[in-house]
Amino acid sequence: MTRALHPVQAAFEQVGEMMILTARTIVSAVRPPYPYGEELVWQFVFVLKLSWFPLLVSTFALCLGAPGLQAAGVLSLFGALDRLGGFFVVTAIRWIGPLVTAVVVAGVAGTAITADLGARKIREELDALQVLGVDPIKNLVVPRFIALMIITGLLDIFAIVFGLSAGIGAELLYHQSLGGFFATLFSNASVTDIWGSVLMCTMFGAIIAVVCSFKGMTASGGAEGVGRAVNQAVVIAIVAVFFFNFVFTAILFATHPELQSIR
Amino acid sequence: MRARTQMIGWLDVPLGWLDSFGEVARFASRVAGLLYSGRVFKYFGESLRQAGILVLGSALVIWAFVFIIGLQCGLQGAYFNRSIGAPSLAGLFSAYCDLREAVPYAFGYILSAKVGTGIVAELGAMRISDEIDALEVMGIEPVTFLAGTRLLGAWIALPFIYLVGIGIAYFASYFSVVQQIGDVSSGGYLLIFWMYQDPVDLTFSLIKAMVMATAIVLVGCYYGYTASGGPVGVGTATAQSMVVNIILVHIIGMLGTVVFWGSTPRAPIGG
Repeated sequence: MTRALHPVQAAFEQVGEMMILTARTIVSAVRPPYPYGEELVWQFVFVLKLSWFPLLVSTFALCLGAPGLQAAGVLSLFGALDRLGGFFVVTAIRWIGPLVTAVVVAGVAGTAITADLGARKIREELDALQVLGVDPIKNLVVPRFIALMIITGLLDIFAIVFGLSAGIGAELLYHQSLGGFFATLFSNASVTDIWGSVLMCTMFGAIIAVVCSFKGMTASGGAEGVGRAVNQAVVIAIVAVFFFNFVFTAILFATHPELQSIR
Repeated sequence: MRARTQMIGWLDVPLGWLDSFGEVARFASRVAGLLYSGRVFKYFGESLRQAGILVLGSALVIWAFVFIIGLQCGLQGAYFNRSIGAPSLAGLFSAYCDLREAVPYAFGYILSAKVGTGIVAELGAMRISDEIDALEVMGIEPVTFLAGTRLLGAWIALPFIYLVGIGIAYFASYFSVVQQIGDVSSGGYLLIFWMYQDPVDLTFSLIKAMVMATAIVLVGCYYGYTASGGPVGVGTATAQSMVVNIILVHIIGMLGTVVFWGSTPRAPIGG
């Protein structure tokens, strides 16, 4: 292996190790015993406490600016501001809601998970757990994995609600009545949109949990170790989420042509 | 199984954010003063080194991320315009999406993830291994040498990285709309695409992105500079900087849109 290819090789090795961790986590989650119930609830509440405020501010600000004011500006030239509701189905529900949820969860909860697990790794607590006969994957990674999957899917609903209220805000800024907004919103939104969005977000949660747990559990290297692990974890998580989002959206649109019809 | 850090209340994040916002603002004004008074130019070589680190270490990640965002803009725009029966207008959606909103946000996300947390990890490690105190003993002002040079380096390198990123996103949108979905011909797409933007929009977009970049670098420098509590403290500071950065990126993005395009959509239609 030449030196130029070494980073590529290292990247592939990391991806492979994350895949192995995913498989081990899933196997460990379904195989009895199930000692992680309490930790799961704790992680769930922990992520919710960390994420609700950044999520609220982020989705509201993003949806007010990007699809709200930009689209409303163009639509007002056509005198068709009631069409903003249909536009918000495309942007807030299908696209921005899940992605901002993923960015917030990765940046807020994912970094906290990596910092937490990384701290345990360099304090050698993980090794101590193994010596005590406690499986770190079953007791630390599995509850985070399940909790993050569920909470990311549920936070997506909140993101959509905040995003749509930003759409209402944009309509009000243009002194428009809300009847047209809601009419086009509800006639364009479909059940497929909602489950596609929530399912996508659940997958995002799984990606974030695996990447951040992996980077935390393999943190090493002195003073900079944990910080460097958090840095890499959040970069890999966000890039992976956006890439997965593109693939998922392309497949969803191609397999559900009813999303493309005009209503 | 749980750490002490998990015992947080429901209002801790917003209150902590308000708290740190004031601290960051004070630190930022200090660094801005250093730049304004020109003291940082004493270490111009170090600034160039930091700019070089940004180009070599972060540019590829930023461009790859922006490429994915460009694909997304094209895909969503193609399907949205197909649904309203105007697939030939996909260029409108991707022009607005790429230039005005998605690429600045994507730039902000990846910058806070890669550059912001990277600075925290680096400076935090220097702080807890007492290297910053050592700098002070050697007669080098640590804030100037560490924070000021990084901000100047970011201002040297990032505008060009961003402009190249815009081009990459344009290519990705073109690829997605014309080659992947294929509802509109190449010429029809590009006609609408270039009609709905002008150099002023590009300047606004660049300003928005650079304000985000400035905030992210300053937040990173603040959290790294004030890190404490060993390697674990560096990890916690890195995580916290990300929370502040995400909120700041979104608020700056929204304010930028309101200021630059809020009163007029700057579209070549209507009157």
